[in-house]
Amino acid sequence: MKTQDRSGWVFVAPAMVIMGLVGLVPLLTVVNYSFFEIFILESRFWVGLEWYTEIIRAPRFWSSFGRSTLFSALILLIQIPLGIAIALCIPHGKFWVGITLALVALPLLVPWNMIPSLWLSLLNPETGILGRILPNLGWPDDWKLSAPHTWAVIVAMDVWHWTSLVVILCYSALTTIPAAYYQAAAIDGASPWQVFRHIQLPRLLNVLLMAILLRFMDSFMIYTEAFPINAGGPDGATLFLAVDLGEEIKAFNYGPSAARSVIYFLIIVSVAWLFSKAQGKLDRAGAT
Amino acid sequence: MARYLGAIKTVTLLAFLGFTFLPLVQMTLISFVATLPTTSVEVGSFTLHNYAGIWSDPALRSAFVNSIAYVLINICITVPVAIPAAYAFSRMSFAGDTHLFLAFIAFRITPPVVLTLPIFQLFSALGIVNSVFGIALAHCLFNLPVSIWVLQGFISAIPKEMDETAFLDGYSRPRFIWGILLPQIAPGIAVTAFFCFMFSWVEVVFARILTTTNGKPISMALNALFGFQTDIGLVMAVTVASMLPGAVLLFAMRNHLSRGFRIGG
Repeated sequence: MKTQDRSGWVFVAPAMVIMGLVGLVPLLTVVNYSFFEIFILESRFWVGLEWYTEIIRAPRFWSSFGRSTLFSALILLIQIPLGIAIALCIPHGKFWVGITLALVALPLLVPWNMIPSLWLSLLNPETGILGRILPNLGWPDDWKLSAPHTWAVIVAMDVWHWTSLVVILCYSALTTIPAAYYQAAAIDGASPWQVFRHIQLPRLLNVLLMAILLRFMDSFMIYTEAFPINAGGPDGATLFLAVDLGEEIKAFNYGPSAARSVIYFLIIVSVAWLFSKAQGKLDRAGAT
Repeated sequence: MARYLGAIKTVTLLAFLGFTFLPLVQMTLISFVATLPTTSVEVGSFTLHNYAGIWSDPALRSAFVNSIAYVLINICITVPVAIPAAYAFSRMSFAGDTHLFLAFIAFRITPPVVLTLPIFQLFSALGIVNSVFGIALAHCLFNLPVSIWVLQGFISAIPKEMDETAFLDGYSRPRFIWGILLPQIAPGIAVTAFFCFMFSWVEVVFARILTTTNGKPISMALNALFGFQTDIGLVMAVTVASMLPGAVLLFAMRNHLSRGFRIGG
């Protein structure tokens, strides 16, 4: 049990100051801007909820919202099971664990703006490794004109980039299982599936929830990586939610971009709230 | 089935590693190829020219210095602030503690692009745009929550009896943290610093808006290389070089990487 201690606030105060400066103050500023028409920051007009209604009513918002939801769903469906599977495949022994995790984590070190370039050069029909193999397997030369092919590239790119984080998180949870559990399972003659279902999966749940939350939000708001692959094309088929926001910021549309930011933040908060509910449920289930 | 499980695991892992390495191999291959006509080497032939190009370009040299500088500053802000907070979340119960932890995580999952505009204005007012300090501070938005999370995992792995014994021996809380706890969680601090490095080094959204004229990190120097005639060989060489410090640290950290992400004891 943790001790009841109000001095805890003193210990978290420095962290709160910094998060206030780089998180809360900017957020409140955005909320404030979102109710104004702003030409230059010194002269602004109250417009109330006008920007919000404009964004919510635009079909463009809902279509990119739908695309981002579909993208996140695909990402989670692939990365979470794959991450668990790879974490379970990591060999025993300190030496191999370290080497494997270090190798798996390499994609996390690539500057984000270079990730599309890496994949585009991989798919280059003249010099790319995949670009020279794939056409023999039916991959079209003009894949950029096809929405499913562009989607496949972006999903593969994100799986490549981020699955390693899920692997590290899952492996982290697996290491907390005492060896005695496995010994007991071996004595009972449990099958690998039973070991996974009754020993490993319960330990994974809490961390998985966090992995799902992180991967959901980062893929839902994918911004830097997806656009350069095919400029949102073909015909807007890969225009995701955050792209609109980026365009409005570049155009210095303070009011509308602030309103859009607030809408995105509200989505984030509702999702985080759902996850905290789920975690509370897990904790109670674990306690009884 | 169970008999072949070991083999299946090895094959799956090797297949995944192959997939992981594919773009990296491609990148490394191109980095050793001359992709623009120069006086000395023919286009398409093997060359070390691209790597030499990094050293001879002052913009690229200073980009490496800038990246290292802002990451180090970020670690120096994040880690000392995260340690007491992680200790409090791990050991103390205070009104609103779980909500506060969630609030921190909520800022971690807030995409930087949502906050770029006000952060740019705020930092302009504070006079820290176009400097490495600005990027270092902005990156606390995601690094501080992750650091607190990782560190509280390491602290929670230490038996609570150790705190109690120390307090019975007359240690004050700050003296206990400094003298007894910190040496115990030294690997955790190293891993935390590594994660700060990793997430900060590759970030581009804040790095872009906060460095329009000065203080450009590697990612922005890479952007500047793209133009009418892009020397893709040089671009890939810079990318490979940018990954080397991280790869060395990753290798050094490999045995501690997976220890931090515990939730709920």
